[in-house]
Amino acid sequence: MAERTVPANPLARVDGVVVRELPDEVLIYDLDTHKAVCLNSTAAEVWRLCDGRRTASDIRKMLEKSAKGAVPEELVWLALEQLDKDKLLVERVSRPAALVGVSRREMIRKVGLGAAIALPVVVSLIAPTAAQAGGSGCVATGGACNVGGDCCSNSCLNNVCA
Amino acid sequence: MKVAAQEEGRLVARALRGSWRREPSGTNLSEQELARVIPALVGSGASALAWRNVGRSPLKATKAALELQQAYRMQTLRAAMHERDVERLFTLLNSAGVDAVLIKGWAAERAYTEPGLRHAGDIDLCVRPEQYAAAKEILSSPEGRRFHVDLHEGFRDVLERDVEDIYARTEVLTLGRAFVRVLSAEDHLRLLCVHTLRHGAWRPLWLCDVAAAMEARGREFDWERLLGRDRRRANWVACALGLAEHLLGADVEGTPIASAANVPRWLVASVLMRWARPYAMEQPPFNHRAPMRTYLHSPRGLLGDLRNRWPGPVEATIAVGAKFNKLPRWPFQLANCAARAARFVSAGSA
Repeated sequence: MAERTVPANPLARVDGVVVRELPDEVLIYDLDTHKAVCLNSTAAEVWRLCDGRRTASDIRKMLEKSAKGAVPEELVWLALEQLDKDKLLVERVSRPAALVGVSRREMIRKVGLGAAIALPVVVSLIAPTAAQAGGSGCVATGGACNVGGDCCSNSCLNNVCA
Repeated sequence: MKVAAQEEGRLVARALRGSWRREPSGTNLSEQELARVIPALVGSGASALAWRNVGRSPLKATKAALELQQAYRMQTLRAAMHERDVERLFTLLNSAGVDAVLIKGWAAERAYTEPGLRHAGDIDLCVRPEQYAAAKEILSSPEGRRFHVDLHEGFRDVLERDVEDIYARTEVLTLGRAFVRVLSAEDHLRLLCVHTLRHGAWRPLWLCDVAAAMEARGREFDWERLLGRDRRRANWVACALGLAEHLLGADVEGTPIASAANVPRWLVASVLMRWARPYAMEQPPFNHRAPMRTYLHSPRGLLGDLRNRWPGPVEATIAVGAKFNKLPRWPFQLANCAARAARFVSAGSA
């Protein structure tokens, strides 16, 4: 993938997303792409710190403060790149020159060895359906429904499964 | 077969027992038992509640549990979007001067300790009969069409009380920029109880709503208002609460509700059988193969479809306005069938 050149003062997207904070994770639904993601506590903390003014280095220092231990800058970049990939930042971010060409696997290895906090993880959410779970009880798209739980998609619009 | 279905339903009940509470009790289901009821929990919208129990048990890292967790996350997000829709809709209605009352859905979710535990689809609204046309007009405007609303004229479909009497006891809540009117705790619990039984209590989530609303009641809760003067309807409400105690462990201590021992055994058995397959497509009218009219031209398949139309004992009891007691239910089921057949014939001849 080509490296990007936009300066890295990342800004978290707040428009067009629905956010729900849970005790150990943050859930985000993108109203434009209709994708849902789950951020673990590290990714969520980086996302919250993306105010458009702080640099990756500033974010790292803030993380170190809250973790009371060392946090390598690679960890911040791992988080930023995942957030960027899921369109959770207003502008795309670019790695600093020192990290250009370093593979993600190498970054993870380095972070894993020295970080005081968990690796950042952003995962897509896909709701399991009754059918996937071994049954055939949910209504397919286009079928009649009363509430979302009737539908395999869990979304009932005008009594029709979306 | 009936016993096996009841066993399956009992597993669903165990998965949901006490799940609405701030400190859920966990579950004693085995991994195999949990895997067996996952389709019923997910397919009936109860997965988030089940996760609250399972996530606090040794099963939390199993494959089945992770499916529930994933469903819980999705439901949490959907609840956030639903809340956003409720706010927008009421902002629209407020600005047009339509004074609607929100029932079920978000209004029921308030009794739960965490948003997202109670999944909601449509937005159910009741308005005074004189505002029905105005509300309908707003909902069919381009702005209003974005919402999926089930609009009721007055409360006659859901509560049998005087409209102004109900309005006088409602509560107005602030949701973002909107003011949302909801029923009093007593009227809403009554509505939830009767609604659950009217539909044969086939969706476990409905009984969780009843349990959560009862346990969330305040000190000033008016039990006389909940039960009402009509002894038959008081029996319905008491039975729904007793059922919530019997199947889900709802706490009725210190309440005037008779213990679950008074809930007829046939009622418990009937609900457990429904919980074995709590899917909308297997409930009336979705399980009807064709409208009855079509059988007038070609009777093929009529017999099978008549079986699908045979009313459940719980629905029949409500439909004929009978009491829940130990008497056999078939006379009520028969009476309900006859009434429906008469309606069909008179509609055809009109």
